[in-house]
Amino acid sequence: MSSSSPDRRLGGVSLIALAVWIGLVVAISIWMAGQAQHWLPVQASNAAPLVDGLFRFETGVGTFVFLGVISVMAWTMLVHRAEKYDESDAEPIEGNTRLEVIWTVIPLVLVMAIAWYAIQVNTELGVLGPMEHIHPLNAQEERGGYPTDRLPPEQVDVIARQWSWEFGYPGRNVSSTELHLELDRPVTFRLVSEDVLHGFYIPAFRLKQDVIPGRAIDFTLTPTRLGRYRLRDSQFSGTWFAANQADVVVESAEEHASWLKQGAAAPLQSGLSPAANEYAERQTAGRSGWPTVVPAPPPQVNVPGSSSLPHDA
Amino acid sequence: MTSTVLSPQPPASWRHYFSFSTDAKVIGIQYIVVAFFFFLVAGLLAMIIRGELLTPAADLVDRTVYNGLYTMHGTIMLFLFIFPVLNGLNNLLIPTMIGAPDMAFPRLNAAAFWMVPIFGILLIASFFVPSGPATSGWWSYPPVSLQNPLGQLISGEFLWVLAVALSGISSILGAVNFVTTILRMRAPGMGFFRMPVFCWTALAAQSLQLIGLPALTGGAVMLLMDLTLGTSFYRPEGGGDPVLYQHFFWFYSHPAVYVIILPVFGIFSELFPVYSRKPLFGYVYVALASFIIVALGLIVWVHHMFPSGVAQWMRNLFMVTTMLIAVPTGVKVFAWLGTMWRGKIRLTTPMLFCIGGLFNFVFAGITGVMLATVPVDIHVSNTYFVVGHFHYVIYGAAVMGIFAAIYHWFPKFTGRMPYEGLGKLHFVLTFLGANLNFLPMHPLGLMGMPRRVSSYDPEFAFWNVLASLGAFLLGVSIIPFLLNMISSWARGPRATHNPWNAIGLEWLLPSPPPEDNFGEHVPTVISPPYGYGKNEPLVEHQAEIERALTLAEANR
Amino acid sequence: MTTTPLPPANPSATHEGGHHANHNLTGFIIFLCSESVIFLAFFSGYAILRGSALNWLPPGVEGLEWRMPLLNTIVLVSSSLTMVAAEHFKAKEKLGLFRAFWLLTMAMGAYFLYGQAVEWGGLKFGLTSGTFGATFYLLTGFHGLHVATGVLLMGLMLVKSFIPGNYNGGEEGVKATSLFWHFVDVIWIILFALLYVWRT
Repeated sequence: MSSSSPDRRLGGVSLIALAVWIGLVVAISIWMAGQAQHWLPVQASNAAPLVDGLFRFETGVGTFVFLGVISVMAWTMLVHRAEKYDESDAEPIEGNTRLEVIWTVIPLVLVMAIAWYAIQVNTELGVLGPMEHIHPLNAQEERGGYPTDRLPPEQVDVIARQWSWEFGYPGRNVSSTELHLELDRPVTFRLVSEDVLHGFYIPAFRLKQDVIPGRAIDFTLTPTRLGRYRLRDSQFSGTWFAANQADVVVESAEEHASWLKQGAAAPLQSGLSPAANEYAERQTAGRSGWPTVVPAPPPQVNVPGSSSLPHDA
Repeated sequence: MTSTVLSPQPPASWRHYFSFSTDAKVIGIQYIVVAFFFFLVAGLLAMIIRGELLTPAADLVDRTVYNGLYTMHGTIMLFLFIFPVLNGLNNLLIPTMIGAPDMAFPRLNAAAFWMVPIFGILLIASFFVPSGPATSGWWSYPPVSLQNPLGQLISGEFLWVLAVALSGISSILGAVNFVTTILRMRAPGMGFFRMPVFCWTALAAQSLQLIGLPALTGGAVMLLMDLTLGTSFYRPEGGGDPVLYQHFFWFYSHPAVYVIILPVFGIFSELFPVYSRKPLFGYVYVALASFIIVALGLIVWVHHMFPSGVAQWMRNLFMVTTMLIAVPTGVKVFAWLGTMWRGKIRLTTPMLFCIGGLFNFVFAGITGVMLATVPVDIHVSNTYFVVGHFHYVIYGAAVMGIFAAIYHWFPKFTGRMPYEGLGKLHFVLTFLGANLNFLPMHPLGLMGMPRRVSSYDPEFAFWNVLASLGAFLLGVSIIPFLLNMISSWARGPRATHNPWNAIGLEWLLPSPPPEDNFGEHVPTVISPPYGYGKNEPLVEHQAEIERALTLAEANR
Repeated sequence: MTTTPLPPANPSATHEGGHHANHNLTGFIIFLCSESVIFLAFFSGYAILRGSALNWLPPGVEGLEWRMPLLNTIVLVSSSLTMVAAEHFKAKEKLGLFRAFWLLTMAMGAYFLYGQAVEWGGLKFGLTSGTFGATFYLLTGFHGLHVATGVLLMGLMLVKSFIPGNYNGGEEGVKATSLFWHFVDVIWIILFALLYVWRT
C-alpha cells in the first residue's frame, strides 16, 4: 500500500535530462567550492590552507545537497500543482521503506566522511599545546621543509585587558601593543587575561582561542605570509569590546630582529588603547549612556605601533 | 440530544482574553498575542542595531546602549517571543488534536502563562534602573556579566537573571502539563502511532525542556549568588571557573534550539499533507526521528565551546555527535519532499510559508554542518557567520513555520478566514527580507567580523549595508501580517469547521470550538493520520459529525 | 430544528474525578524527574570545582565534621521507613496509626532541619569562603529547602486526613508527598557521600 507504482519508471529522455541536470549541479558545486576561497581572508598561517581546504570541501558538498533538495522542491512546485478547480486528493502514497533506508544511510555516510576529514585536519592543527609540524605534503616539504622548522618557537606573552592587547617578548625586554612576528617561524603565545574572558582571534591565521582569566593558555602557530593583519577580540568583553583590536605585522627575520633591537632600546610609553581614548572623550563630552567599567589605562610599552594603517585582512 | 454541543460558539468576548481563564484555547491566544507584542519590541531593538551597523563607527548610540540593545534583543526574542508563542500553539493544538477537553492541569496552565507578562515587565524595567539593562549578551557569561560598576543590588543583570529563572519555571510547569496531557488524555483509539506528528514533536520538545531547563536554572542560581552574595562559583580570583558556567548554560541552551525547531517540524509535517493532498511520507519515521533528535540533542552542547579551552578529545567527540543530528533531520526533510512529490499542491499562504521555511532550513542545515567541524568553527565561531546561521534557522525557518501555523489554524480558533492576498504579500516580504538580512552575514563572518560589535573595520561596510536593508524590509513585512490578523478577526468571512478540507480531530470541531472541545462526546479514532486519498474516515460516526457541523453552520 | 445523533458520550473520556486525580500523580512524577536534574547540575558543578581545585579547603579549615551529619543521615533515612509504615497502615485503613507514623516522619524531618541548622551555626567558614564554602552551603541549603517543603507538605496532608471523605477521590496527595520525601532522602544520601565521605 505504500510503494510508488512501478510502471512510472523514467523514460529515456527524462533519464538523460536528469543526468544533465545532475552534471550541472555537480559542476556548480565544484565551481562554488573554488569560489569559497574568495570569501575567506588571505592565508597567512600554516593553519589556513588546512582550514580553507575543509571549508571548500564543505561548500562543494553543501552546494550539491542544497541544489539537489531545492531542485526537487522546485520541480514538484511546478509539475505537481493541483489543477485550478481540482479539490480532490492525490495518490495515497504513504512511504517507501527502501527510500527511507537510502536517505538515512547516505547522509550518515556523508556526515561521517566529513567528520573523519575534519578530525584529520583537527589533529594536524593541534591547537592546544605545542603544535606538531605536520605539514601536508607539498613542494616546500619536498625541498626540505620550511627553513625555520627546526628553530624553537618564539615566545610571546599576550595580556588581554578591558580593552587593550599587550604583547611581551620575554628575554628580549620588548613590549608592544602591535604584534610583530617572524615569517615562517613558529610562535608560541602565552595567553592571559587580567579581568574577564577575551578572545584572541586573527582571521588571517584562521585561529582563535578564548583567553580565560585565572589560566595561562599556550597556543602555537606559524605565520606564512608577509603583511599587516588584524587581531580582534572575539569573546564579548564589555563596553569597548568592539574596539579591542590590534595590528599583527608579519615581517622577515632581519626586520624582526631589528624591530626587537630598537624596541628594547625605546623608553616605555603609553601603548594603543582606543577604548581609553573614547572613554576620556566620553567623560569630557558628558555624553549619556549607562555606567561602564572604567577601561584599564593603556599599557606602558616600548613600541605602541599603529592601529590605523591599512591591513591585508 | 441537542446539537448545541456542535454548534459554533460566538467568538469569546474580548474581556475573556485579559482574564485568568483556565481554558487552554484562551490561554493559547493570550500566549500568542503577548508573544507578538514582545516580538515587536525586540524587533524594534533590532532595527536600531541594524541602524548602528549601517556605518563602521559607533555613531548612532553609545556603546553601552548598543550592548544593552543586542542583549535584550536576543533575550526578549527567545524568552518572551519564541518560547511563549510555541506554548501558545501547544495550548491551542494539543487538546484539540487529541480530543481532550482541555489540558491536564488547567489552573497550572494559566499560572504558567501569567508568569510571562510578569517576567516581561521585569526585563523591560531593567531599561529604567540606574545601571541599565544587562549588557553581556543573552548568554550572560561571567566574569563580564558579574561586573556591576554601580554596585547596586537591583541591576539590569540581576533583573535579567531573575527573569530567566522565572521563564524557566514557567516553561517547566508548562512542560509538565503538555507531557501529561499527551501521555494520558488522548481520544479512544488514538495510540501513539495514530497521533499527529505535531503532538510527537511537542512531546519531544517538552521532554527536552524538562531535562535541560533545570541545568540552566542551576547555573543561573550560581550566577545570581556570585552577583549578589559574593560567592565565587565562576570568579577565578575566588577559585571559581568561568567555563563551568558555559557548560551549564549550553547543556540547556543547545537542546533549547531543538525545543524551538521541533514544533516547527511538527507544523511542516501537519501542513505539507494538507496542501499536497497526500499522506505524510513515512509518518512513523518522522515521528520516531523526533526522539532521536532529543537523544542526540542532549550530547552536543560543547560545540558552542570549541574555542573555550576544552580538551581536543572533547572537541572531536562533540563534533561527531553534532554531525549525527543531520541524519534524523534529513529523514524529516526528505519526508516533506516525499509528501509534496506527486501530490496536488496548492500554493496557499500557509504552504508558501512552509516551502520558504524549508528552503531556508536546508541552507541553515548546511552552514550548521560547517559549524560542527572544529577547524572551520575555530575560524568562524563568535563571528557573524554564526549570527547568520542561527537567524536563518530561527527567522528563516522557525518564524516562517509559526506564521504558516497561524494562517492555517486561524480559521479554527477565531472562526474567521484570514485574507489570502495580505498573507501572500506578508510571505514575499518576509522571504526576501530574511534572505537579504541574513545571507550577507556569512561572508562577514568568513572575513572575520566578530559578533556583538558596536563598530567594525571599514572593509565590512558593504555586506552590513545589505543586511541592514534586509532588516528594514523585515520590519515592513510585519505590517501586512498585523493588518491581516486584526481585520480578519474583527470582520473576516466566517469560517466553516474545515475550510482546508484537512484530516484531523481539530477539524471535526466547530470554528471556534466550544470551551470543552468534544466534551463527553469524544469520537473514537479508527485510522492513522493523514489519510488523504484513502477515503477512510478518521473516526467512528464521522459522517454524522460532519453533517451536524455543516447543518449548524448553515443555520447560523 | 432537527437533531442529529451524536457519537455516544464516551465514559472513558470523562474529565472529572478519577482521571484527573491520576493525572496529578503523573504530573508530579514528571516534575520530580525534572527537579532531579537541578540537583545533578549542582552535584556536577561541585565535583568539577573540587576535582580541579589546587587548594580545596579554605585556610583554617581542616575538613568537615561528619559524626553529627551521619546521625542526621540515619534519622532522615529512617524517616523514609516510618513513612512507608504510615502508608502501610493507611492501606489497611488504620488511620490512627497512619497519622501517628506520619507525624513521626514529620518530627524526624524537623529534627534533620534542626541538626542542619546546628551544623551550620558551628561551622568556621561562610558562603564566601572560596568555592568550598559556596558549594557546601548551596548544596545543603537547597536540599534543606526541599526537606522543609516536604515537612510542610506532610503537614498539609496530615490536616487533610481529618477531613471526612478526603480519600474518596483517590490518595494522590499522600502518594505524591511520600514520593517527594523518598526523593529528598535519596538526594541526601548522594549529597552526604559527595560532601562528607569523599576525602581528598
